[in-house]
Amino acid sequence: MKRSAVLTIVSVVAIVPMVLLAISINENKAEQKNINAVPQIKKFESRSSEWGKHYQRQYDSYKQTKKSDKIDDMLKANPALVVLWAGYGFSKDYNAPRGHFYMLEDNINTLRTGGPVDAMTGPMPTACWTCKSTDVPRLIDEIGELDYFTGKWARHGSEIANPVGCGDCHDNETMKLTITRDFLKRGLDAEGSLKAAEATHQDMRSLVCAQCHSEYYFKKTEWTDKNGEKKTAGVVTFPWDNGFSVEAMEKYYDDISFVDWTHKVSKTPMLKAQHPGYEIYKTGAHGLNNVACADCHMPYVREGGVKYSSHNVGSPLDHMANTCLNCHSEEEKAFKERVARKLERKTELNKTAMDVIAQAHLEAGKAWELGATEADMKEILQDIRHAQWRWDYSIASHGSFFHAPEETLRILGSAINKGQEARVKLRAVLAKYDAGDYAAPDFSTKEKAQAVIGLPYQKLVDEKMAFLNGLRQEWVKEQMQKGLYDPSAWEGMVFNTSYKPSEVAEK
Amino acid sequence: METKIMMKYVSILSVLAAVGMFAYVGYASNMISYLSEDPKVCINCHTMNTEYATWQHSSHRERATCVECHLPKESLVDKIFAKSRDGFKHSFAMTFRTYEGENIRISEDAQQRIQANCINCHREMVSEITAYSKLYQKEGGNGQMDRKCWSCHRDVPHGTTRSLTTTPDNLGVKEI
Repeated sequence: MKRSAVLTIVSVVAIVPMVLLAISINENKAEQKNINAVPQIKKFESRSSEWGKHYQRQYDSYKQTKKSDKIDDMLKANPALVVLWAGYGFSKDYNAPRGHFYMLEDNINTLRTGGPVDAMTGPMPTACWTCKSTDVPRLIDEIGELDYFTGKWARHGSEIANPVGCGDCHDNETMKLTITRDFLKRGLDAEGSLKAAEATHQDMRSLVCAQCHSEYYFKKTEWTDKNGEKKTAGVVTFPWDNGFSVEAMEKYYDDISFVDWTHKVSKTPMLKAQHPGYEIYKTGAHGLNNVACADCHMPYVREGGVKYSSHNVGSPLDHMANTCLNCHSEEEKAFKERVARKLERKTELNKTAMDVIAQAHLEAGKAWELGATEADMKEILQDIRHAQWRWDYSIASHGSFFHAPEETLRILGSAINKGQEARVKLRAVLAKYDAGDYAAPDFSTKEKAQAVIGLPYQKLVDEKMAFLNGLRQEWVKEQMQKGLYDPSAWEGMVFNTSYKPSEVAEK
Repeated sequence: METKIMMKYVSILSVLAAVGMFAYVGYASNMISYLSEDPKVCINCHTMNTEYATWQHSSHRERATCVECHLPKESLVDKIFAKSRDGFKHSFAMTFRTYEGENIRISEDAQQRIQANCINCHREMVSEITAYSKLYQKEGGNGQMDRKCWSCHRDVPHGTTRSLTTTPDNLGVKEI
């Protein structure tokens, strides 16, 4: 009995503190669970403010892109563009890009997307939404990629409610960077040097940008819907099969005889370069050293005790202490001057190239007018096609002059050369039809240039305004009903365009 | 007689309960994990989340784990004693919440260990510093080398600002 009593007492004495300890441990564990809890964000959540509830600093900095609000009318600054893009949307309206906050607004406002009156009308295909909105991966998941890429732009108007945001680059569960646009994966795999599945985190810090900041075209793809109806989709496709260089993509397009549009004046089967930012960046000093887009465009910043990656994507020159000067030990002023000089060099060759190629178009137009034959023009049109493709490729991504100055100037040089070759041949053709001294008409202002190519500018503006006040308002109502509309994505949005509604224009 | 048998059962039951309770506490506290050197063990509780996250983003991540800096390396006995001592202090602080409201600081003892470990790995660098040390400005008691590495290398490896809220979104800590 004595031994049993001792054992019992000892056990109880041991049990009591162990119970208390167990309670304490479980309390601590519960607390830890709260602290380490991963935010619950639903898959394909397109409203960035929902992500922002958990990642406030990143979201706040993303919203700062609203400050990049200046409308910079590129057609006004470079009227030759109107001639270069005659017969194509870009001759109607083209501004320098604004912050991510405006991405969807500007896509809806630009004269390029026209004034559809219902889901079936309008000049552009559905593909034009693809890089503008977090609703795109959601919609593709819902209806399938081929169905998404079928029909007119206006078809998806009531579904596309939020500008590019969190869900375009992040996994909803882990926040890991992720590719939400499959065409990038297909492009990378076709090119072969960096397979999508093998991308490292550092690669991903550029690839999420490359989903949109790349050269692409809309590949016609036949498919059959579930009712057995044959349809044609225009699927965003990267022309990377032969490589990332301008020549490799030129060959790709030539091999499949791809034509973006036929030039209104010169009848050239044209290519429109989009914005091969990723491809050109890869050839420059930073790209070759695997400095990611995010390293300079989304630098780490410190707020109080917290360090995070700024989502205010913009020019790294705006806050050099956090960007360039992390690696380069130089004076800010000297740095800025050097970059400005790079831009001047590009601008110089860019102006020359635009002037040469615009003249070539107008001279070719004259040659057709005088009765030139297909045989006369064949080689010339091929030269113009290649010249403009190369010029466009070199400058369309805006930052190319900095990302890869040598490559940019090299391509511009070859564009000027091709353009001048076309013009030398054109002189011979013009001379053949007694117009050897022909001088192209004046296209020194946006208005003159649009008159030269016969663009009904005010009509386009009126159609656009009717759309903005009509169909677009219906879209917004439907988006609200579907729970897609995020008021904070549109808060403080001011209507700002390069064109003016007719009643304002008349004043 | 009957009480005696009953007491016998009671005693056996209470011993079993004690053993069971010990097993449960061992399980709940991940007791076994503390025998390992995995840095994840140091974030069994949330208190070291920021230290873990800042280390995980530092160059030391590739070369040195928590215990490789924070525990003595030379002798296994020293290491086990140091680990037990620190472990007891940490458990005590965590259980009785004595650390709350305090800025967590490293102990004098732990400082000595870390300094020794810095030197152990960066021997070549330190030997050069020592070789030229008589040329340096002298400071403090015996004049030479009594400052710690991190008197100058202040952000190695945990950064300069660290509190529970410094690394709010660190997914290395928030393992799913």
